[in-house]
Amino acid sequence: MIARTSPIVALAVSAVTPIALLIAAYALFVGHNQPGGGFAAGLLLGAVLVLRTVSGLQEPKYAAVLLAIGGVIVGVDALSPLLWGEPLLDQFVVSWDVPVLGTVKTGSALLFDLGVVAVVVGLVIALLEGFGASDLAERGRTPTDSEMKARR
Amino acid sequence: MIWFLLALFVVAVLVIAVAGSRLGRSSLWVAAVPMAATALWSVTLLGSDEVVEAGFSWVPGLDLEILFRVDGLRAVLSLLVAGIGALVCVYAVGYFSSSAAGMGKFAATLLAFSWAMVGLVWADSVWTLFVFWEATSITSFLLVGFKNTDPVARTAARRALVITASGGLALLAGFVLFVDAAGTSVLSDITPVTGSTATAAAILILVAAATKSAQVPFHVWLPGAMAAPTPVSAYLHSATMVKAGVILVALIAPAFQETDVWKPLGLTFGLVTMIWGSVGALRHVDAKLILAWGTVSQLGLLITLLAMGTPKATFAAISILVAHAVFKAALFMVVGEVDVRAGTRNINELSGLRRSMPITFGVAVVSGLSMAGIPPLLGFPAKEAAIEAVLGLADTELLVVGGLVIGGAVLTVAYTTRLLLGMFGGSAPMAERTVAPRRPAMSAPQVVLATGSVAGFVALGWVTDVVRTASVIVEPDAVVYTLYRWPGLTDAFVTSMIVVALGVLLGGLLARRTVLTGPAARGAAFADTVIDSIGRAARGIAGVVQHGSLPLYLATTVATVGAASAAFVGEIDTDALYLWDNRAEAVLVVMIVAAAVAATVVSSRLGAALVLGAVGFSMAGLFVALGAPDLVLTQLLVETVIVVGFVLGLGRLATKFPRPTRLWLAGRIAVSVVIGAAIAVALAGAASSPTGQPPIDELAQSAVDEGGGNNVVNVILTDTRALDTLGEVIVLLAVAVGILTLTRRRATTPAPAKVPAAVDLPPSGSDPQPIASETSP
Repeated sequence: MIARTSPIVALAVSAVTPIALLIAAYALFVGHNQPGGGFAAGLLLGAVLVLRTVSGLQEPKYAAVLLAIGGVIVGVDALSPLLWGEPLLDQFVVSWDVPVLGTVKTGSALLFDLGVVAVVVGLVIALLEGFGASDLAERGRTPTDSEMKARR
Repeated sequence: MIWFLLALFVVAVLVIAVAGSRLGRSSLWVAAVPMAATALWSVTLLGSDEVVEAGFSWVPGLDLEILFRVDGLRAVLSLLVAGIGALVCVYAVGYFSSSAAGMGKFAATLLAFSWAMVGLVWADSVWTLFVFWEATSITSFLLVGFKNTDPVARTAARRALVITASGGLALLAGFVLFVDAAGTSVLSDITPVTGSTATAAAILILVAAATKSAQVPFHVWLPGAMAAPTPVSAYLHSATMVKAGVILVALIAPAFQETDVWKPLGLTFGLVTMIWGSVGALRHVDAKLILAWGTVSQLGLLITLLAMGTPKATFAAISILVAHAVFKAALFMVVGEVDVRAGTRNINELSGLRRSMPITFGVAVVSGLSMAGIPPLLGFPAKEAAIEAVLGLADTELLVVGGLVIGGAVLTVAYTTRLLLGMFGGSAPMAERTVAPRRPAMSAPQVVLATGSVAGFVALGWVTDVVRTASVIVEPDAVVYTLYRWPGLTDAFVTSMIVVALGVLLGGLLARRTVLTGPAARGAAFADTVIDSIGRAARGIAGVVQHGSLPLYLATTVATVGAASAAFVGEIDTDALYLWDNRAEAVLVVMIVAAAVAATVVSSRLGAALVLGAVGFSMAGLFVALGAPDLVLTQLLVETVIVVGFVLGLGRLATKFPRPTRLWLAGRIAVSVVIGAAIAVALAGAASSPTGQPPIDELAQSAVDEGGGNNVVNVILTDTRALDTLGEVIVLLAVAVGILTLTRRRATTPAPAKVPAAVDLPPSGSDPQPIASETSP
């Protein structure tokens, strides 16, 4: 495991994680007005997860849960306007005044983007899980097909 | 009230679906509740001029509406559907043993069917009718195949589904043409239509009705459907589903009376079916099959009467429809009880049941005589009306239609006589078989129905009112007719007495003759052969098209793209094309080309993955040069993840590419050149001929106004064209689920599992090839 043998990697990856999370959150929230958005935020989180997985800090888990959550969020966001007689995917914009930040404007598109984030992260985790990325972290290489077979 | 009742059905289905395994046989009581409620409400509307309507616009843009309308006719029909349904539920409680498995499923499906049928008879828009029509096909498939471990039942269910669903397709086409010709989809607004479109619609709709109502040659599914438990037969194949076609013909007849084909085609279907059905009923020895063929015959009579189109015939058809539902459901219940208690339905083996099963015998006699049209039972005035209607015809029609209808009536009396004598007659005690004790839940519904046959005759004045109100909906001139208890010595009465005498004689003679087995079901076998060969052909085509070779899939795709882009070669305008906007682009393009070329010659797999990454990152640089920060961000992140994916995937492959053969190399070069050329041509062609202003201003405006954001690209993704994003999210989900299932399955199952066939096909030839998940070049 790289993280155990190399304190530099362990420390660097651990230190990068919160920063990357912050950037991902930023990308998500500014997406409507500046470069960013749900897809970019999801990929950023995914890249962090890749780093953490291959360095052995984390197991790739909960892919199905994230995919399900994302799918439900996107589906609900897409269909719910129909309940009010609005067209599919119609956006609902709200703005309110927050003490420090001033007027904050957001809408149901943010919710939609959150769903996209969950789906993208879920996809990355599914990839990591499917290709045996934790083995890569454990032994420096992914298992071969014959090893997979022998494990059964 | 319409909404309440329909919702009650849905709620009850859900309750049974959730609690069915705990409720067991009691689910049937739950199922009876919405049916009984609907029946009671229908009774309050019988014979009145009150019309209850409900509806809403389903898809406004397509003029699709959900419309219901309950008038005198539909109240009669829903009373039959729901009332007999409730009785069947009670009957089924007695029919199934207390330990029978799958009762919840049975009750839920039966109730869902009943809901579909109620919706069908109440529908006032052809589209609403179509939706419920299809729902009855599906639920009846599930009911016929209820014994899903029995191959006979499964084949029968499949046959019924394929035939009725093909009819459903004809119905859809017919309705599309009909709405086009009539200009309305509302059944209560229809006016006569003529012309070639109307003719085509008439044919299609008649064929659809013929498949559902088992008209020759589509009748082959009905006898097979007797593989279902008897409560299902008593419900679907006597009172309800097989009547759907008749109901459709009745409701839509006013539109098509004036087309040339409606009457001749309808009469042909009806007359042939009537005769062939009653001949079939005389040939079989299984009491349930005798009834099934008898039903085919009666349906033929109904279609004949409705196709005749005279007010008297329409009136007679509605009368017979009511009488038939009452006596045929009772007879099916009788046969089911005989089957359960005596252990057989073969009339050769049954004998003398009149002593051991007196109540059932009484019900059978009353209902059988009603079927034969003998007073004092409801079947008598109904049959009188029919005979009177055909005697009112003139010339050739009188000879052909009249002769055949009267002949059919003789045969009906004959098979009724044979059935009753076969089951209950004879004095020899049944050897080897003992009769099980009576079950009250089975007897009660039969007695109710048999009483109905008697009471209908006693209260004939009221029945006449009800039938007349119903007939007037179809044919306003039917208002003058009445059902008579004692018509006097009219021609019709004399004729029908002769019919009865001849029929009893014929039936008595045939009952003496012992037939060991019924005729082979050749028509059904033929239908199965057709269905099987369609399945085989489909599997053959799928086997060729879905060969499972990834290189071939890729080559096919590329060839298609190449062919499609060839059309754009002529569109390229070299004057409109220019080299670059700024020089940095040139440098980046050189980098991309160099990396791409390197990817084709590098010998290690990891190297190839890295130069592909280089292509992607250079591309991101190109986006920077063009001033598209969103694309840069996305491209960089995607490339990062892709490179990691490659690294992970390469771990299980050899480090070097295998040395390709010459042919393989040539093939790969060809594919690469074609796809490169195709994309280049398409892009150059598109860039050569811009049409109009680019929509950027419009999009920017709508992003700010409607999307509430300044980043046009992202507002397009999440708002302006969010539907595209939704589609992409669904693709991502599908890919992820695919990855998870493929990799997890490989890690847990020992061998590649066979793809389970969605439809039960009999074992034949080759199994479908499992789609190869990996094909190494």
